[in-house]
Amino acid sequence: MNTYLWSFWAILRRQAIELKRYAFNTLSSLVTIYVVFLLLFLGARFVAGGEAVFGDTLEGLIVGFTMWTFALVAYSDVSWAVMREAQQGMLEQLYMSPTGFRWVAISLAVSSFVVSFAFVAPIMGLMMVTTGRYLRLDLPSLLPLLALTLAAVYGIGLAVAGLALVFKRIQAAFQILQFVFVAFLFAPAEPLWAKALPLTWGTELIGRVVVGGTRLAEIPGVDLLLLAANGAFWLGLGILAFGLCERAARRRGLLGHY
Amino acid sequence: MRAGSGTEACALEVKDLVKVYPGRTPVTAVDGVTMQVERGEVVGLLGANGAGKTTIIKIICGLLLPTGGSAKVFGVPCHHRSASRHVSAVLEGSRNVYWRLSVRENLAFFAGLQGMSPRESRARIEELIAFFGLTEKRSAVANKLSQGMKQKLAVACALVRGTELVLLDEPTLGLDVETSHELRGLIAELARSQRRTVLLSSHNMGVVEAVCARVLILARGKVITDDHVDQLLNGFRTRGYRLVLQGELADPVASALQERFSMRQLSSTDHRAELEVEIAPGHDFFELVDLLRGSGVEVDSVSRAEPNLEEVFLRIVRGGKA
Ligand SMILES: Nc1ncnc2c1ncn2[C@@H]1O[C@H](COP(=O)(O)OP(=O)(O)OP(=O)(O)O)[C@@H](O)[C@H]1O
Ligand SMILES: [Mg+2]
Repeated sequence: MNTYLWSFWAILRRQAIELKRYAFNTLSSLVTIYVVFLLLFLGARFVAGGEAVFGDTLEGLIVGFTMWTFALVAYSDVSWAVMREAQQGMLEQLYMSPTGFRWVAISLAVSSFVVSFAFVAPIMGLMMVTTGRYLRLDLPSLLPLLALTLAAVYGIGLAVAGLALVFKRIQAAFQILQFVFVAFLFAPAEPLWAKALPLTWGTELIGRVVVGGTRLAEIPGVDLLLLAANGAFWLGLGILAFGLCERAARRRGLLGHY
Repeated sequence: MRAGSGTEACALEVKDLVKVYPGRTPVTAVDGVTMQVERGEVVGLLGANGAGKTTIIKIICGLLLPTGGSAKVFGVPCHHRSASRHVSAVLEGSRNVYWRLSVRENLAFFAGLQGMSPRESRARIEELIAFFGLTEKRSAVANKLSQGMKQKLAVACALVRGTELVLLDEPTLGLDVETSHELRGLIAELARSQRRTVLLSSHNMGVVEAVCARVLILARGKVITDDHVDQLLNGFRTRGYRLVLQGELADPVASALQERFSMRQLSSTDHRAELEVEIAPGHDFFELVDLLRGSGVEVDSVSRAEPNLEEVFLRIVRGGKA
């Protein structure tokens, strides 16, 4: 077990070092996220006079946007982490880790998420200041929901990472998926089929907590179960797809190519 | 050093290994290779471009799945994840280290990736930094190191993992003569002092001759020779002679020499001829002397044509070994 923890620690440390050393990139991506939000916010104000856009309320917009940022980070972390390693020509070295590559990929994603969280939090604060609306942050209720919601996104990220191992040139096309996530976020959550989509149902539940002030214990068990099933399904699918792609890459000798 | 899983298993055991890269035109890169490497052995892998060296190394690393046959390290099949406990590698054409991390950070990262705690790895990291002469550059980002230092760092990063088997694919590629000499010395010393098992591929015969006790020569995915370096050299040493003759070499003598001793003329002027002969098994040196004396040729000097590994390699690959 210690092997796994130290290996995760090594990956986390490395990412922190890189982020620190290349602080400018980090900063500029933060600014980008914030500017996108401002545009959205101002645009929404312009169209609807400040209310009744996307989810009903401005809070809905904030929740949606924050979730989108998280989803983006989570999704792009798995797939980009793998692609970045491939581009750096380091995939093969990572692959030879005794913990197995799947653990490495997940460590890359999670540690990058931890690091990103430190950046998303201030943005959320800034957004609240900009909009003058303050969300109730009931973390004990929020974190489990967030984890389950993002599990689906990690699943998709893994699948995409796997595909990227095999089809190196397809990377750019996957960026489009980011915008598909926006659609998932703001899709109506009521129909049954929507509960099978990644992100949609989780965002709805998170909205109840953040906007409506509902506590985790007050959410109906069926709703939670649905969310858990959703996360497990997408994560499982992602792991499966990743495994298949990994095999194909090892058969065809593609791990070292970039 | 970690113990292997089976106490009696040899470091590396490859049996009837076949690798066919699938595709529209499948490529058979490895075609029935069988080899064994015992613990503590340092073995060289030689072969022309495309002979299959990198493919074999990547199969041993678990980076490639074989089409047929098996490869095991310390008794563990190479495609199993747990095999990575026993193997580390410097791969050809790969960067092997993070260019954005410093020397020390790279070493710490790879030690951690292997599952070592910072406390466990600290001493080993310092030792390797000192051993490879990177002390002054310990905080320099890898990107800013010279090619030779990068390569040393790559080897150090493979070693810091502490695996018993170390694979080095072209470790001296792109290095100048001096650095290449230095690195080969370091590798040889490490293999000896730490009793690591090393499999090393190279196009540089000097490196293989200096570092390896045994070589395998591959051609088109097959092992065509598997022998100790000394014995290989010996096999060729006894038969080759270099002669310097006085005066011109007359045609009849030349053709007799060519016929019986597969003579090769190196240079010839009006008053001096230099040539190389080979005494085939079943013939001896005195037959050569008799022939020369009978033709009235004066011999200025005779010396053993000391073969080097490069010549031996070329002859074997061209099918010159009887
Ligand atoms: N990923 C791949 N897909 C298809 N064919 C490949 C792949 N990698 C290598 N090959 C082919 O397999 C054969 C053996 O290649 P390999 O890289 O193992 O040779 P090598 O002995 O390492 O050569 P070199 O000395 O040039 O490094 C070659 O014909 C090569 O073209
Ligand atoms: Mg090669």
